[in-house]
Amino acid sequence: MTPGESPPLAHPAEGLAPAGPRASRMARRRGLWAAAALAALLLVPFWLSDRYVMHLWVTFYLFAALALAWDLIGGYAGQLSLGHAAFFALGAYTPVLLLQRWGLSPIAGGVLGAALAAAVAVGIGSIVFRLRGVFFAMATIAFAEIVRALLLHFRSLTQGDNGLAIPFTGERPLDLMFRSEAPFYVIALGLVVVTLAVTARMRRSRIGYYLRAIRDDQDAAESLGVVSRDVKLAALVASAALTALGGTVYAFDIGFINPDSTASLGLSIEIAIMAIIGGVGTLAGPIVGAGMIVALTQITNAALGSRGGASTALYGLLLMVTVLLRPAGLAALWSRPTGRRGERRGAA
Amino acid sequence: MAIFLQAATNGLLLGGVYGLVSAGLTLIFGVMRIVNFAHGEFLMLGMFATYWLGRASGLHPYVLLVPVGVLMFGVGLLVQRALIDRVLGRTDEAQILLTVGLSAFLQGAALFVWGADYRTIPTPLASASVAVGPVYLSVARLVAFGVAVVLAAGLYVLLVRTDLGRAMRAAAENREVALLLGIDTGRIYRLAFGIGTGLVGVAGALMAPVLATFPTVGTLFALTAFVVVVLGGMGDIVGAMIGGMIIGVTEALIATYVALDLAPLATFLIFLLILLVRPQGLLGKGRV
Amino acid sequence: MTRRWIAAAAVVALAAWAFPARAAQAAGEVALALFAPLTGSQADVGVFNRNAVEMAVADVNAAGGVRALGGARLRLVTVDSTSEPATDVAAAQRLVSTTKVVAAVGMGISPLTIPVQSVFERAQIPFLVHNIAPQTTTSGYHYTFRIAPTGTQFGETQVEFFKALNSVYHLGLSRAAVVYENSAYGTSTAEPIKALAKNAGIELTLFESYPHGLTDASSLVTDIRKANAQVLFPVGYTTDAELIINTMAVQHVKPLIIGGGAGFIWPAMGKDMGDKMNGLTSVASWNWDSKHIRLRPDLWAIVTRYQQKYGTFMPEHAGMAYAEVWAVVEAMNKAGSADGTKIKDALHALDFTHGPMTLMQPGHVKFNEQGQNIYAHPVMVQWAGGAPHTVYPPTDASQKVEVPR
Repeated sequence: MTPGESPPLAHPAEGLAPAGPRASRMARRRGLWAAAALAALLLVPFWLSDRYVMHLWVTFYLFAALALAWDLIGGYAGQLSLGHAAFFALGAYTPVLLLQRWGLSPIAGGVLGAALAAAVAVGIGSIVFRLRGVFFAMATIAFAEIVRALLLHFRSLTQGDNGLAIPFTGERPLDLMFRSEAPFYVIALGLVVVTLAVTARMRRSRIGYYLRAIRDDQDAAESLGVVSRDVKLAALVASAALTALGGTVYAFDIGFINPDSTASLGLSIEIAIMAIIGGVGTLAGPIVGAGMIVALTQITNAALGSRGGASTALYGLLLMVTVLLRPAGLAALWSRPTGRRGERRGAA
Repeated sequence: MAIFLQAATNGLLLGGVYGLVSAGLTLIFGVMRIVNFAHGEFLMLGMFATYWLGRASGLHPYVLLVPVGVLMFGVGLLVQRALIDRVLGRTDEAQILLTVGLSAFLQGAALFVWGADYRTIPTPLASASVAVGPVYLSVARLVAFGVAVVLAAGLYVLLVRTDLGRAMRAAAENREVALLLGIDTGRIYRLAFGIGTGLVGVAGALMAPVLATFPTVGTLFALTAFVVVVLGGMGDIVGAMIGGMIIGVTEALIATYVALDLAPLATFLIFLLILLVRPQGLLGKGRV
Repeated sequence: MTRRWIAAAAVVALAAWAFPARAAQAAGEVALALFAPLTGSQADVGVFNRNAVEMAVADVNAAGGVRALGGARLRLVTVDSTSEPATDVAAAQRLVSTTKVVAAVGMGISPLTIPVQSVFERAQIPFLVHNIAPQTTTSGYHYTFRIAPTGTQFGETQVEFFKALNSVYHLGLSRAAVVYENSAYGTSTAEPIKALAKNAGIELTLFESYPHGLTDASSLVTDIRKANAQVLFPVGYTTDAELIINTMAVQHVKPLIIGGGAGFIWPAMGKDMGDKMNGLTSVASWNWDSKHIRLRPDLWAIVTRYQQKYGTFMPEHAGMAYAEVWAVVEAMNKAGSADGTKIKDALHALDFTHGPMTLMQPGHVKFNEQGQNIYAHPVMVQWAGGAPHTVYPPTDASQKVEVPR
């Protein structure tokens, strides 16, 4: 479902760990499949030598993690954030600056970046969660644009539009400097696993339950005692921190960051689109969405040359199609036909 | 003092164009409760239409105002019928996502078809100016301002004094009642979207002599337009013009007296402030 | 549920297979990459880099190819870096991963050079550039070679020229404004002017940066007017330069202009602004009619041929890009190999005093350990009759400065 709309009739116990021997057998089988898949994916760098394809995998994993992280607030909480690039940028710039000025390892720097993003999320959340609907979306856009303007303005710190390049001057693992793409493959895959774990955990937890209640009907939930602001904040904080980690991986893999490639509206929209097309509120949805967009971008680049724009046009088209025809996203292609889409007059 | 006047005047002239761009957006919101996130791309299309029509016909951009406006009006009608109509009953988020998708599609398509190159329309206007006291006014921007104000005034008159306008305001106020009164809301919505888009297309034609034309030119204008619309009160035409000029002058003064690149920051801070403190905008309740 | 995961895997597999085939390397051929902005706001620069490199490749092949590799022909691989840093990096990565090239040449825009140096370094492909931001050769790269002078030298030369104007022509100029685009190029040119201003007798009444891709210069020009400057040192690319000059005309702001290169010396300005350009001076990395070129028939022939073939005077970047191609060829000859690392070592060792790569004034090219050409220095040019002529320093000048009214 697109954010803000009610899901199909949910099983009352959905999200709560089902009990019983059959359920635990199913869970174990799922766990085995997951472990097997992970092992297979980890073996890929050993036989893949093509640097370009490896880079594609890294891009896919990165976007999958970003889409999953976005989904925490966009899907489960139903808050359409179009400003997530701000957190991505914080996660990109913080470790780079800490490395270049104080020699701090980007591993520590990345953690600090995530912490900073979480703190900013608390601050901005308490402001924007007072707004609903269109105003909320516009406020998130404004927030990201403010971050971008600040990054551009404080040139003595960030080199502004010029960006920061991380010169590659030799293999240094603790500084995340690798000649080959393989280490980034592993790191990015790790990030996906972590994000998946956080999402899965959250779904089963009390917070996940409250989020669903808020998404269905915030006023009703509040009347039952759910402090919606705190719950939404929790989701946003987790989402922001994970998005920031994505920014850190990106920065050191690409070796160059600037406000336009990290804090842009286009990136915020792209992340949201991936989760929506794939299917918000599901574990596979954002991953499928990310894979589709990455694949589509590659195919259009290969077929149409480096002339930009084709992939953007395509995923804009996909988003429109999803909204009009398949609001539950691709993931819904495999579930029961969706019930009546929730009709709600625009809240404001 | 001369510097202050020059800066303020620069801002005012640009603000008039912001106002025109925003008037279209606010009309659409006022009547249909839709925020068109692709509004900036319609501006871009208006600029490209002016560029290509100008190349083909050799006509001056100002002569092309009418054909471009009519063309974009048609585009608006089409988009409304094909897309916007289908999300009218649904949630805010669905509507936002549809127009966001449209925006990405139009930008990407423009980039693909026309390339990223900056195109300019060479006219002697680029450097023509008129002196009023210590202040120099760019002729091109003065014309843009004048046309913008005239069009906005025209729109206001349309809404307040014509049957069509009254029908629009009725549909905006309460859709069910409007239907009961026999108003064809479908047609109203199409016209509103068409007019709103036509106006921003004309704004594009007005900007063509002074601004380079390229696929992503709409983004900055769109963001500014959102701010102006909220500042002036969503659905309020007069508010859009006034809001546009306020933002224009603020940006110009900050650019001159504080720092050039802090101007957009100021705009967005104002935006957040208004959203939190007075979301209905300066001019109060929406008054289409 | 399982079906969704299979779908996810299928999508991923699809992504893995959707990549362009590796370009095959034919025998008797070596591939050289042109890496320049062919689309976007810097497209005009990219075009003359491409012209020059195409001409050079044709010349190399006509002269028998790469001698030490059995006369192997050069095959040009043209790659559009685009004008945005983010897509620039993607283009470079695509290049190094899909095509085996011996080197990359033709890049001269600082904000597009800096982001990709790491990419070529990781791939161990020599990257010959002519941008001017100092950090290109002070960041510890081994595979970057810069044939051009640095932004610091740009600023110094502009100030020297200012002093010369005052002392030789007694113009009594003192108040100056600097407006510069805020990328590495603009900043590295403007900062030295600020540092040297006081000793040169310059009173800097304005020192302001602006973002490249300016859509409205009115506030900037109002600031210039506010500063009441007699001399303006503007630094910017073509679209910005034209906008600033036009807006200055609107607001009747008319200081003496000592341009910072880039837009102020490229053909597009000359074509678009016509006679408005006459008398305008600017600093440049390279100019087509510098003295050493006029004096050497082989070099003069190159410049004339460009003019005949492409219809304009040979622009600043074109001359340097042309030289870069020959530098790569000579390095391959010295190393006897098409291997990136060996070419890199050869480039560090070579000392060019003759041959087409000495198109670069003063006719002597040698790269130090950091990849900087130690003999590079800027020149000052002045527009007259639709082209810029070298007027300073005296060792390179082909004409005298025309004193501004």
